Amino acid sequence: MTFHLGYGTNGFSNHRLDDALDIIAGLGFTSVALTLDHHHLDPFADDLPARVSHVAAKLDRLGLRCVVETGARFLLDPHRKHHPTLVSEAQEVRVDFLLRAVRIAAELNADCVSFWSGIKPADVPADEAWNRMRSGVAAVLEGAEPLGVTLGLEPEPGMFVQHLTQALRLREELGSPSLFGVTLDVGHCVAVEPDDAATCVRRAGGLLVNVQLDDMLPGVHEHLEFGEGDLDLGATLAALAAVNYVGVAAVELPRHSHAAPDVARRAVEALKAAMPDEPAKPRHPWLADAQRAVRRDPAVVGRLFPAVGRRVGRGLNRPDDPQGLVHGSVDDAARAELLGALATMLDDDALSAELLALYRHGDDAEKRGVLRGLALVGDRASAAGLEVVRDALRTNDVRLVAAALGPFAADHLDDHGWRHGVLKCLFTGVPLAAVAGLERRTDDELLRMVADYAAERTAAGRDVPADAARLLGKGE
Amino acid sequence: MRIFDPHVHMTSRTTDDYEAMRAAGVRALVEPAFWLGQPRTSVGSFTDYFDALIGWERFRAAQFGIRHHCTIALNPKEANDPRCTPVLDVLPRYLEKDGVVAVGEIGFDSMTPEEDEAFARQLQLAVEHDLPALVHTPHRDKAAGTRRTLDLVKESGLPVERVAVDHLNETTVRAVADSGAWMGFSIYPDTKMDEHRMVALLKEYGTERVLVNSAADWGRSDPLKTHKTGLAMLEAGFSESDVDDVLWRNPVEFYGQSGRLLLDDLPGFTASSDTFSGNSVLRGGGDR
Repeated sequence: MTFHLGYGTNGFSNHRLDDALDIIAGLGFTSVALTLDHHHLDPFADDLPARVSHVAAKLDRLGLRCVVETGARFLLDPHRKHHPTLVSEAQEVRVDFLLRAVRIAAELNADCVSFWSGIKPADVPADEAWNRMRSGVAAVLEGAEPLGVTLGLEPEPGMFVQHLTQALRLREELGSPSLFGVTLDVGHCVAVEPDDAATCVRRAGGLLVNVQLDDMLPGVHEHLEFGEGDLDLGATLAALAAVNYVGVAAVELPRHSHAAPDVARRAVEALKAAMPDEPAKPRHPWLADAQRAVRRDPAVVGRLFPAVGRRVGRGLNRPDDPQGLVHGSVDDAARAELLGALATMLDDDALSAELLALYRHGDDAEKRGVLRGLALVGDRASAAGLEVVRDALRTNDVRLVAAALGPFAADHLDDHGWRHGVLKCLFTGVPLAAVAGLERRTDDELLRMVADYAAERTAAGRDVPADAARLLGKGE
Repeated sequence: MRIFDPHVHMTSRTTDDYEAMRAAGVRALVEPAFWLGQPRTSVGSFTDYFDALIGWERFRAAQFGIRHHCTIALNPKEANDPRCTPVLDVLPRYLEKDGVVAVGEIGFDSMTPEEDEAFARQLQLAVEHDLPALVHTPHRDKAAGTRRTLDLVKESGLPVERVAVDHLNETTVRAVADSGAWMGFSIYPDTKMDEHRMVALLKEYGTERVLVNSAADWGRSDPLKTHKTGLAMLEAGFSESDVDDVLWRNPVEFYGQSGRLLLDDLPGFTASSDTFSGNSVLRGGGDR
C-alpha cells in the first residue's frame, strides 16, 4: 500500500469543480484536496445537501479519495482575507465553518478536514491565542467525533501555528485525540522549518493525515512548481513511503489557476518520475460506500469484511509479486482501508475487540486483510495486533506469514518472535522483501539462526535460499 | 479432461492425492462439511473445522493448482447430538464467506425429528443467504429418505433447481430426475455407485443436471473416480463434450448459482502447466 497522489482544487479556481475533478482524475491522480469555496461546493449554499451528494457521487465514480481543505480566502468575510480565524475575534464563525466542513467531509467520505490557525492579531497576546486554539480545536473535535471525521492541523508560515512542533504540542495538550492529526505542506518545510521535509515527515510519522506537495525556497512562502525551489522531492516521497503513509498527497499550487491544466500535467510527470513505488490505484466505488456505511454504523463491518474480494476484486497489487506476498492484493488493501474507516468510529478497546473478531472469524483473505490493516490502525490496538500476528506466524499459510511481518510487527513484535518469523519466511519461500524493517531489526542472533539454517541446508546437499545468503552477506 | 469434483472431503486426503488429482485434470472442487468419523462433542470443533475449510484447506489445494470451495452445514448425523446443534447459530457467519458455494451437506441419516428440524432450518438458511443446497441422502432406507427430502425441499421455498440431491443410485434417481433437482452420484470403489453403473444411468437419463463426484473421504474411496468415470464414458461412446458437461460444466452451473465460484488460474499455474514456477510454495513446503 502506498499514498495517493492528488491535486488541490484551489489550483483550479478558474474551473468549474466538475471540470477540475475530471481533469485531475484524467491526469492519473487518485485523490483531490477539495477547498470549500464560494465557487467550489459553497458550504453556505441553500441546496448544500444536493451539491454534496453530487460531488460525493462524482468522486466515487472517478475513484478519487479526498481531503477537505478550509483555506478559502474570502469565504467568511468578503473584505478581509482568511478572516475570522481560530485566534481572532469572532472565532465562533470559523468554528461554525469548520463544523460545516466536518459534516461535508463525512458525506464525502473524506480522509480529513484540514485547517490552519490563522494569523495572530497584533493585539492578542500569545497565551490568549494559544487558549483560543485549544478551545476552538476542542469544539470542532467534539463535532467531528460522532461522525468519525479526522482533523488535520496545518502549520502555516506566518500564522500563529507555523511549525510542526507547535501542532504536535497542541495535540498533546488536548490529550492526543485519535482523530486529531497533522497536515504537512512539504514546501513549508523548506521555507520555515529548521529541518528538511523528509525529516519533518518522519517526525510527524503516524500522525500525518494529509500532505500537500509543492516546491519552495528557504525563507520565502511562495508555492512553486517542482524543480523551481529547494525541495528534494524524491527524498520527501521516499520518506512518506517509509513512514507507511497511505493517505492523500496533493499538489498545492493555489496561485497557478490561470494555467492549471498545464501546471497539473507537469506536476504529475515530476511526481511519477520521483515516486519510490508505484502510485496507489483509484479507490473502488464499492469501498467508498462501504467506508460510509461503517462510519454510520460500525457493526456492519462484520458483514462487509467477508464481501470485499467479491466486490473490489482480488488482483495482485504488483505484477512482479506473483503471489502478493510482498505487496498484497487489491482486496488486502481495500480491507485495510475499511479498517481505517472503522478506527475513526471506535475507541481503542472497541477497535481491539473488533480486530480480534474479524481475524478469528475470517477466512484466509480476511485474516490477511486484518494483518495488513495493522500497518494503519495497529498502533491503537497493539495487544490485539500482537495476538493476531503471533497466530498468523504459527500457521503455515505463506500469505498469512508474509502479511504478519509488516510494519506493525517491525515496530511491536518481540525479538524472539520476530526472528522466528523471518526464519519461517526462509523456510517457506516467502521473499524477505515482505519483511518490514528487516535492515533495522536484523541482529546477531538472527544472523546466527540464519547461518545455522544455511549450514543445515548445505549439510543436506540442498541449496541455500538467495535471501538467506544475502542476509549473511554472501549473496550479490 | 478438465474436472470439477463437486463433492470430495480433502481434509482427509494427502498431498499425493492432490498431486494425482491435478495430474488427472482436477482444477476445482467443492469440499462439503460433513462428519469426521470421530463424533464431535462441541461447537468449537465444528468452527475449527469450518475455519480449515475456508482457510487452510483452500491454501493446501492452491499449492497444487486446484481451486478449493466448500459448503457449510451441520450434518444430519450430528444433528441428533444436543452438544452439536448450537452450531446452527454460527452458520450464518460462515455462509457469507468467499468460496462458500452452498449450504451442505444437509439431509437425513436416520430420519429423526431432530434431523427434520435441522434440515428444514438449514434449507431456510440457504434461502436467506442466497445459496444452493447440497443434500445427502441416507445410506439406510434410502428411497424413503429421498422422497422425504424432496418433500422438505418443496416446503422450504428454495427453488428446486438450486438443490443437488446426492449419493443417488438406480432406485432413487427417478424421483429426483422428475423433481427438477440436480442429481448427484458418488462413485466409490465398492459401495454407492461404480463408474460402469454410472455410465448406464447416463445412457438412460442423459447428462443434464447430473453431477458426478468421488466423495472421497477418510473411508475407502478414490479421488480419481471422477476421472475414471470420464474414461468409462468415452469408452462407452460418449463424446468429449458430454464428458465436459458432466465433469465440468454441470458442477460449474450448479454451484455458480452462488455467485462465489473462483475458477481463474491460481498464481503460478496456467491451464496447461502442471508445475509451480518461481519462488514456490511447493519448494518451501516440500523441504519441511
